[in-house]
Amino acid sequence: MKQFLIASILAGAVAFSASAADYTIIAPANPGGGWDQTARSMQTSLQQEGISGNVQVQNVPGAGGTIGLAQFASQSNGNPNALIVGGYVMVGAILTNKSPVSLKDVTPIARLTGEYEAIVVPAESPLKTFGDLVEALKKDPGAVSWAGGSAGGTDHIAVGLIAKAAGVDPTKINYIAYSGGGEALAAILGNQVTAGISGYGEFESQVKSGTLRLLAVSSDARIDGIDAPTIKESGLDVVVQNWRMVAAAPGLSDEQKAAVTADIEKLAKSASWQETLKTKGWQDTYLAGPAFEEQLAKDISATETILKEIGLVQ
Amino acid sequence: MNTFEFLLHGLSIAMQPMNLLYALIGVTLGTAVGVLPGIGPALTVALLLPVTYKLDPAGSLIMFAGIYYGGMYGGSTTSILLNTPGESSSIVTALEGNKMARAGRGGPALATAAIGSFVAGLIATIALAFIAPFVVKLALVFGPREYFALMVLAFVTVSSAFGDSTLRGLTSLFIGLALATIGIDQLTGQARLSFGVPDLLDGIEVTTLAVAMFAIGESLYIAAQGDRGPDKVEAVKGSVWMTAADWARSWKPWLRGTAIGFPIGAMPAGGAEIGTFLSYATEKRLTKHPEEFGNGAIEGVAGPEAANNASAAGTLVPLLTLGLPTTATAAIMLAGFQQYGLQPGPLLFATNPQLVWGLIASLLIANLMLLVLNLPLVGLWVRLLTIPKPWLYAGILLFATLGTIGANPSPFELGMLLAFGLLGYVMRIFGYPIAPVVVGLILGPLAEQQLRRALSISQGDMTVLFTSPIAAVLLTIAAAALIVPLILRARGRGEVLSQLAASED
Amino acid sequence: MNKGNTPLNGKRRPDRAALFIAVFLAAIAAIIFWDVSRLAAIASYSRIGPATVPFVIACVLVVLAIWTAFEAWRGDFPERERQEIGPVVWIVGGLVAQLLLLKVAGFSIATGILFAAAAAGFGKRKLWITLPVGIALCLGVWLIFAGLLQLSLPAGPLEHLFL
Repeated sequence: MKQFLIASILAGAVAFSASAADYTIIAPANPGGGWDQTARSMQTSLQQEGISGNVQVQNVPGAGGTIGLAQFASQSNGNPNALIVGGYVMVGAILTNKSPVSLKDVTPIARLTGEYEAIVVPAESPLKTFGDLVEALKKDPGAVSWAGGSAGGTDHIAVGLIAKAAGVDPTKINYIAYSGGGEALAAILGNQVTAGISGYGEFESQVKSGTLRLLAVSSDARIDGIDAPTIKESGLDVVVQNWRMVAAAPGLSDEQKAAVTADIEKLAKSASWQETLKTKGWQDTYLAGPAFEEQLAKDISATETILKEIGLVQ
Repeated sequence: MNTFEFLLHGLSIAMQPMNLLYALIGVTLGTAVGVLPGIGPALTVALLLPVTYKLDPAGSLIMFAGIYYGGMYGGSTTSILLNTPGESSSIVTALEGNKMARAGRGGPALATAAIGSFVAGLIATIALAFIAPFVVKLALVFGPREYFALMVLAFVTVSSAFGDSTLRGLTSLFIGLALATIGIDQLTGQARLSFGVPDLLDGIEVTTLAVAMFAIGESLYIAAQGDRGPDKVEAVKGSVWMTAADWARSWKPWLRGTAIGFPIGAMPAGGAEIGTFLSYATEKRLTKHPEEFGNGAIEGVAGPEAANNASAAGTLVPLLTLGLPTTATAAIMLAGFQQYGLQPGPLLFATNPQLVWGLIASLLIANLMLLVLNLPLVGLWVRLLTIPKPWLYAGILLFATLGTIGANPSPFELGMLLAFGLLGYVMRIFGYPIAPVVVGLILGPLAEQQLRRALSISQGDMTVLFTSPIAAVLLTIAAAALIVPLILRARGRGEVLSQLAASED
Repeated sequence: MNKGNTPLNGKRRPDRAALFIAVFLAAIAAIIFWDVSRLAAIASYSRIGPATVPFVIACVLVVLAIWTAFEAWRGDFPERERQEIGPVVWIVGGLVAQLLLLKVAGFSIATGILFAAAAAGFGKRKLWITLPVGIALCLGVWLIFAGLLQLSLPAGPLEHLFL
């Protein structure tokens, strides 16, 4: 009964007077995925740090986050308490799904975390270095099959960028899309494909146990604790980060936007958030303000270009 | 410590009275929630997982195992008694099980399901304990072409659920296949048949279709019979327990179902319910009572139920050894394991033996508890059929929509539930079988994706589909399953002719 | 060919309703053909692209439509039992009411109406009994699933009393 009482007070607060510090976060994915985990970790930290009294997380899954994004843009116009979690996958999904709503229809606040792509081959593969893989790709792009996540997603885009940088026609890449990293991992372990690409976390335990060979990571500089060169070191200028961000509703005044940005900055700098990043193994890639907007615009135009070159977007 | 000692140690912990109690609570909760139509094992586990967080690791692991097995078994109960399977894995159970229940043999049907689940769960869990690392190596040999061959075999076996007309069976299957193409094409990201409706981009949920076609279609059909419909079902005719003949006809299907279900569940590409289809087809081919199939053959319940439980234990093989969740239930279990500090992956058996063996021991105990709880309850479950129809079916519709609303509370999803319910109703009127629609929706995308992946890896070379030994064997079995009955029929005619000729001498 | 309603040589009449099924199947096929025609031809290395499989399915559906029409013409479909429309209307009405009222009135009232309508469809027309029973039952279900188990079921005025 006590629980009901507390719940009723909380619910009453939501229904009648959403004070400035009460947030509703939309996670545009099913429970358990990266965006859902981000939203729920934000919920915990925002409440623990006293930045917000009451935070609700709502899942609106589907189509690379575009269904949640569309619902968010239409239903929370001008609401300073509504937030949505999103990320780089959304940028591609908006283009491939021809989504009527884009990131221009919301107010991006800040990039929170990110994960870099890892390129692996089975342990028994004759390809020893990333250079070997690029050579094979140049010789016959069709003979190099890549297993990765969904078509048009971060993994697919990264392969397209690698091909382009290596002077190979991106439409010629032989990319095999799997639903989620797990199934792709099985195909790589079973030696069904030449190489695999996904977020490093997906491969970590296999790399450590020696069943997969890590060839390269897609970061700007080498990452602490990961024994692999960057793609850049091999002479291809490819940096891909599968970042996650938080955005606010469209139609906010400058003061409202500043208030949300301040809250998110407090969150990102807080001890409990830093602790979460550590336990989840997420990189802290916090970026806000004009710097983030600039980076976002750059990512969107680069993604559009490469998706057109791969042939997924007309 | 060696494998066996680890298992004994785990069992000794799981056998403590307090932990046995947790197992019992878990099994009871799991069965109670899982028995509601429209709420399958995945949703049951997701809903009840938080309950386990409050206990110590050993206790929560055991309760979790109980919920998992309870949810699985609960689903079959409603499939058998009410013909309302809430998830893909108990569709086949409903085919024969419900016919048995209507003939007053619901008791034996439930019993063979419970005991079959126990036997399969026991064997499969022990197999998980001792041969998981080998099974997973075998499973990884399966690439796209082998999967495609397996799908072809599964498609051939669907025909055993066609009923009395090939035309209507094929039509049902192809309606399911057409529905399966709705949504984003996984390999190219193109939207197909979604007409700009965002709700269709992710395709049609198998659960929604199954609940609509079975639970809602069935309710409409029975209501439309009015007063004259099938008169009151007699809950118990003959014994409520399995007779000696029932035992004799059940034990082989249990073992065959286990042998089929476990390896298929262990394959890391989803489709764990395919084992139930294959088992049903096998039993139909091998039975000495072919005339009973379609009218309530006990083999058709015993085999698929065993296959279902064995494949559920099988899905733990890639989950524990590779960290790959291959079903929705497994994905939720993965989240659960992480809560207990289990980090599934290739090193798990080496780095965390206590927890792994604790889990396996818990599964064994939960499996036993399930039997202890459910066998005495069979008599009670059967009474469900004696609830007056208005209340019973009103309740079925309540829970059928509850599952859909809980998973996705959108008017569009409920609209689909209604539309497919009406489709199921009309198909029943015209004598179309329902199961092939759902099977088509499950198998269609799997088969298409694997075929296209295989051809993409081979750069368009069709011959690879037949050149792998495993794929070749599977395709040969599929071809034999299609052709042999034709040959036998033709030869049978020939023998009759030669006998006629001989008698003229 | 058609001898009207003279079943002299055992010939049955064409089955009109079954002919509609043939039309329905052909219509699905037509929709798929239309959808496939606007799909981009991304075949990559597999030769078969996103359009191939739907195209094959649509072709088979055309064949099945012709086959169905043929059997319907010959009257080969099995006898159908007479269907009562009343109960079907009750249940469909209940499902529609639930769908429309769910967001506004909350889970218990909307589903309670479905419960009462379904009971009516099965012959229990005493709405003054079934409706309160249904709403009370659904409220109980809501309290267990939404309250205790955290399933997100829409709340309405009735649920807010208990929140």
